[in-house]
Amino acid sequence: MIGREMIVPAASGWVECRVGVFHLETDWVVEPGQVLVLFGPSGAGKSTTLRAIAGLLRPVRGHVEVGGQVVYDGDDGTWVPTHKRRLGYLTQQYHLFPHLKVAANIAFGLPDHNSTVGRERVSELSSLFELEGLEERYPWELSGGQQQRVALARALASRPAILLLDEPFGSLDAELRRTLHRELRSMLVQSPVPVMLVTHDREEALALGDSVQVVNEGRTLVTGNPLEVLGQPGQGRVARLVGVENLFDLRVVERNSRDGTMTCVGPGLQLEVPLDSRTSGRSSLEGDQDRVTVAIRASDIILAKEELAESSARNRLPGEVVSVESRPPGYAVTLNCGQHLRCHITGAALEEMGIQTGQRLWAVFKASSCFLVDQERL
Amino acid sequence: MCFLKMASAYSAIMDLGHHESDCRMRILATIGALNHLRNHPAGILGGGGAVLYVLFIGLPVIALLVQAAQQSDFLGAVTGETAITALRLSLLTSIISMAVVVVLGTPFAYLLARSDSPWARAVDSLVELPLVLPPVVAGVAMLMAFGRNGLIGSGLENIGITIPFTTTAVVFAQIFVASPFFIRAAKLGFQSVAKDFEDIAQTLGVSPWRTFFRISLPLAAPAMFTGMGLAWARALSEFGATMMFAGNLTGETQTMPLAIMSAMETSLDGALAISVMLLTGSIVVLALLGLLTRQPWQGR
Repeated sequence: MIGREMIVPAASGWVECRVGVFHLETDWVVEPGQVLVLFGPSGAGKSTTLRAIAGLLRPVRGHVEVGGQVVYDGDDGTWVPTHKRRLGYLTQQYHLFPHLKVAANIAFGLPDHNSTVGRERVSELSSLFELEGLEERYPWELSGGQQQRVALARALASRPAILLLDEPFGSLDAELRRTLHRELRSMLVQSPVPVMLVTHDREEALALGDSVQVVNEGRTLVTGNPLEVLGQPGQGRVARLVGVENLFDLRVVERNSRDGTMTCVGPGLQLEVPLDSRTSGRSSLEGDQDRVTVAIRASDIILAKEELAESSARNRLPGEVVSVESRPPGYAVTLNCGQHLRCHITGAALEEMGIQTGQRLWAVFKASSCFLVDQERL
Repeated sequence: MCFLKMASAYSAIMDLGHHESDCRMRILATIGALNHLRNHPAGILGGGGAVLYVLFIGLPVIALLVQAAQQSDFLGAVTGETAITALRLSLLTSIISMAVVVVLGTPFAYLLARSDSPWARAVDSLVELPLVLPPVVAGVAMLMAFGRNGLIGSGLENIGITIPFTTTAVVFAQIFVASPFFIRAAKLGFQSVAKDFEDIAQTLGVSPWRTFFRISLPLAAPAMFTGMGLAWARALSEFGATMMFAGNLTGETQTMPLAIMSAMETSLDGALAISVMLLTGSIVVLALLGLLTRQPWQGR
């Protein structure tokens, strides 16, 4: 087995699952070496999807392919049991077998774990995940990061045809998480398998995802490039799910096609935002097309003590500080500019400016930092 | 006495999973708790209760050993034919009972732990019945079932199988009274093994059958050993049901507890000798199984 690179086919399928009153309908395609991120709040159906692919849950209908093999088909009754599906499945709680030492945990799924080949595979993975010297330890003698590495090595040992990662880095600190992201990435280059990753961490989705599927209440809202979906998501629901902090329902009062901007107003608020493509060039100011939802990420807003009148930023709003909350690694400042505006700043900025509740400040941001999201039609 | 034993066995079952072996920590914690309770009425009452309890349990055990040691011919009585025959029969029958209980009870306990059907719950409460049923009643009940004129006993008699008043009856009686201790402990042991471990094992390409032997069984083993210890002690001390269902025939159904009662009628010396043997045997069995209930992988 050593050194033999197998070409793993893409993983794809669709399922309809029912767990109690919860109803899930989803589909996916993942190329080998690519990471599909399932992104959404808890209870959205992300883990259920992975469990259905793993055969730990029986869908109502559907068709699932793993490693080029049909492992489930609701129509012709195909059902391959979990242990014959060639999976690598990783959970947040690691679930290392407590009665087995590290080496035995890694070798658990190897059919020939006592042979020379099996032992070589274990030492190969131990060195890949920097676990040398820990082989004779029991899981309780390991740190969280080490435990997760063992779990990853164990999942990869028998060369799975798909890797299912259910919030595998959720309980690790940010630094360790980034290290494991890097290791996972380099591992994928070495042995490309399709990966499905469940997470509700934006940073993780952006760092690992080749594509992102936003899931809520058992439905896929959107699939696409992580930067597009998570950076400036087009749909109102998606924007809320991926954590866009500021959303305003406004009315278009003027379109300026030369600058590619338009002026929108709402109660106590006036913003310059990018021109909407749907209606550009048209001057009709009637009906639904006047109503827009404008989103601004909290980290795109600059706080200033003065107006910065001589700046290129098209939006400069005065306001009063309503609250200052700790939001590691920085702080979230809420400003009342007619409507509440949330801004993220660093601790250093907070100290330097001496920001306090009741203080008057200016919120400054470019028109292009604003983006339009679809009205909630879903 | 029987009730006390049952109560302690019960608490031992409930205590599964809290295997704290570090005695020093325990003593320190106790002292701390006592200090904390020094000025509390419960501390005074509880302390008094503890002293009384230790005397109440310890005194008879010490008295038994002292009286036995003062005998003129203790060794003779211990190696006497009655004692050796009873010992041999007790060991033989209890080992067979334990084998049956463990082999059949383990998959049964696993089913009880994993199933949530109403049937499983009904059977689950049936498992507790022998714990509360007086053993003598159990003996009479078994006689009504397997006796010569019993429900199925008469049918068995016709095809040449006799159960009552044979060594088989002794094993039956022991299984009846001892099995709940093992099954309950094993069930709790399996329940403490998260289903996720079994799921993960299967995603790694290991069949459900092999997963049971490689994951579920070893992880539940410490709890199962505790249950075995309790069940074995119960089987060794079984008296009432055996008396009713199997009788008191030397070499065939006279186990050690029955031999003690018979010996009491003729000589106290013989009764004392067998009592000491039974006491020693119980302690050895419990100590051995106690060693197995601590595994290095459990940590701390």
